[in-house]
Amino acid sequence: MSMQTDASLAPPPANDPALPRHRQLGLSDEQVLAALAGMQRVRNVDDRLWQLSRQGKAHFVITSAGHEAAQFGCAWAIRAGHDYSVPYYRDMALALALGQTSLDLLLHGMGKPTDPASGGRQMFGHFSSRALRIVSGSSSVGSHIVHAVGLALAFRITGEQDIAAITFFGEGATSEGAWHEGMTIAGVQQLPVVFVCENNGYAISVPAHREVPVRDVATKAAGYGMPGVIVDGTDIFAVYAAARTAMQRARSGEGPTLIECKLHRLRPHSNADDHSKYRPAAELTALAQHDPIDKLRDYAMQHGLLNVERWQAMQQQLKAEVDAATLAADQVPNPPLESLYDHLYGSAAEA
Amino acid sequence: MPVITYRQALNETLRQEMHRDPNVMLMGEEIGVFEGSYKVTAGLLQEFGAKRVLDTPIAEEGFVGMAAGAAMIGLRPVVEIMTINFSLLAIDQMVNHAAKIHYMFGGQAKVPMVLRTPGGGGVQLAATHSQNFEVWYAYVPGLKVVAPSTPHDARGLLRSAIRDDDPVVFLENLALYNTKGDVPDEADDGDYTIPIGKATIARAGSDLTLIAYSRMAVLAMDIARRLEAEEGLSIEVIDLRSLRPLDRPTIIESVKKTGRAVVIEEGWLTYGIGAEIAATIQEHAFDYLDAPVKRVAGVEVPLPYAKVLERAALPNDKHLIKAIREALYGTRS
Repeated sequence: MSMQTDASLAPPPANDPALPRHRQLGLSDEQVLAALAGMQRVRNVDDRLWQLSRQGKAHFVITSAGHEAAQFGCAWAIRAGHDYSVPYYRDMALALALGQTSLDLLLHGMGKPTDPASGGRQMFGHFSSRALRIVSGSSSVGSHIVHAVGLALAFRITGEQDIAAITFFGEGATSEGAWHEGMTIAGVQQLPVVFVCENNGYAISVPAHREVPVRDVATKAAGYGMPGVIVDGTDIFAVYAAARTAMQRARSGEGPTLIECKLHRLRPHSNADDHSKYRPAAELTALAQHDPIDKLRDYAMQHGLLNVERWQAMQQQLKAEVDAATLAADQVPNPPLESLYDHLYGSAAEA
Repeated sequence: MPVITYRQALNETLRQEMHRDPNVMLMGEEIGVFEGSYKVTAGLLQEFGAKRVLDTPIAEEGFVGMAAGAAMIGLRPVVEIMTINFSLLAIDQMVNHAAKIHYMFGGQAKVPMVLRTPGGGGVQLAATHSQNFEVWYAYVPGLKVVAPSTPHDARGLLRSAIRDDDPVVFLENLALYNTKGDVPDEADDGDYTIPIGKATIARAGSDLTLIAYSRMAVLAMDIARRLEAEEGLSIEVIDLRSLRPLDRPTIIESVKKTGRAVVIEEGWLTYGIGAEIAATIQEHAFDYLDAPVKRVAGVEVPLPYAKVLERAALPNDKHLIKAIREALYGTRS
C-alpha cells in the first residue's frame, strides 16, 4: 500500500485559521508527505511508461500528469476497499493512491499475465481491483458513469451502510448520452454517488469551449437535482475538502454531488498524440506553473514538513523504486497462449 | 497510375467531393484541428472552414442523428466515428432511423449520409478498440455497407458512397491506412467510381475460390500469390468490396468454376460474413462443390491487449493456408 487513504478516520478537523491548511482539515504531516511521495511515484511511472512505449514494451500510454492532486485529494476521502471507485483512463494516480503499486501499473502497461487490472487483456488506463473496489471500465467515453450509479442503487438493496460510489471523468465525457442519463437517475433517486469531473480543458485536441456549452461543468449539476462544486484541481487540500463533504453527504443519504476540478493536462493525451499541434506555445510554456507536485512540495517546505535534502533523498529513493519495479515487470513472462479463453465466462469456481 | 496510401486516397476523395458538391460536409470527433484520429481529414478544415468541417463534442448518438436530420433536406454529411467500436453508441440512429426513414415515410425523404469508421485489430488497442461490427450493419435492410481493401477501391467506393442517396456505412481498417497502391490518374479519370454492390475478382484462378474483404482481402491476395509461386496453385480471389448489397452472382459463378471455396474474415466466426457466404454457396452452387466450404475467422474472445494473445486471437496466414489445404485435399482439422 502506497499511502494511507483512510483520511476520513483521521481526527476531526480543527477549524483554527492559525493552523496550516492540512491541519485544519485533520490531516497529519505524515499524510501530506505520503501524498507528495505518491504523486511523485506515479509521475515516475508515467515517465517510465512513455520510455517503455518508445522501446516497444508498453504499447499504449495515457498520462495522469497534472491530475495528481485531484486524484490524491479525492483518494483521501475514499475508504479504499469499502467505497467503490469507478475511474476513467486518466486516473493512474488515483489507482496508486487507492493502493495499487508502481509494479501493478507497469504490469498493466506491459500487458503481463499478473497485471492486476486485467491479466494483460485490457489496454493501459483501465484500472481495476476487486480488493480495492476499483471498477474496470470500457473505452467508450463516459459510459462507466452509469455503473457508479448502479452501484449506488445496489447499496440500497444489499444493505451496505455508510458507503458511497465515486466516479471520475473528463469534461469531454459530459457531452455523452450515458453521462446525462446517469446524472438524471442519480438525481431522481438521490443516490449515494459522487461525480468528479477532472476538467483539463481538452478532450484530446478539442478545447472545452467547443465541447461544453457553459463555462463551468459544475453548473450542469443544477439540471440533475444535485449541488455542483468548483475546486482548483491542482490544490490537493481544496479537492480533499470538497470530496470529503460530498462523500459524507452521499454516505449519510443526502444524495449525489458533482465536483469540478479545474486543472491542466501537462502532457499529450496519449503516446499517439502531439499536443504542440493544437495548444498555443505560450500555454505549453505556462504549464510548468500548474504542476500539482511542485505546488504540494512548496507547501510542505513552507510549513517545515520537508527540506531540500529530504526532498532530494525522497526523489532518489522513488527513482530507485521505479527502476526496480520496471525490472521486475519486464522479467515477468508474457501471458501463455492457453490462457486466451480464460475469463470469457464466469465459472462456479470463481469467487 | 499514381501510387498513394489508403489514407491519402480517402483524404483526396473527400476534398474532391467537397469541391464538387457544396452539400457535402464532414462531422466527427477530432476531425478538424486534429485532422482525424488517423489523419484522414488532414487539411480539410483549413480548406473548407468550420461550417463544413465540424468538430463535434463526444456525443456519437447526437452527431450521427444530426447527420440523418441534415441529410433529409439534401446535405450529404460524411460522419467519422473514431473506430467502429464507438459507432455502437450511435447504432440506434443508424438502424432505427437512417436505415428506415426512406421506407417508413413512404419514400418522402432520402438520407444520403455516409458513416466512415475503421474496424479491425492487430495494433494492440485491446477489445474495445479492435472489433469488427460491419456484419451488424450488413444485417440491416436499408443500409448499404462497403469495405474497400485498396487505395483504388477506397477512392472509387467513397465517391459512390457520398453520391449515393441512401445511408452507407463505409468500413475502413486501422492496419490499412498506410498501405499503398495504384489509383486512377485524376487527369484521365477524375470521376472514377466503383458501383456499390459489386465484388471484384481481384485475381483469377481455377483451383479454389478465396473470398475476403477489407484487410483480409490483402492477406488473401498475399497467400494466393505465395501458393502459386511455391506450389503452383491457381487461387481465385474475390474481394467482396460491398457487404450489402452482397454480390452473390460473382461468388456463385466463381465457385461453379473452381468447385472449392474458403472465406476469411477478421471478425468472429459465429453468425459472421462467412456464414452468409457459405449459405449462399450451398444454396446456389451445391452441385458444383467438391469439398465443404471452409471458414477462417477470429477466435471468439474479446481481443486481448497483450501482443502474444492478440496475435493468437486474430486470423493469420497459417490459419488461411491450413483452410485452403483442407478445402483442396480434404485433410481434416
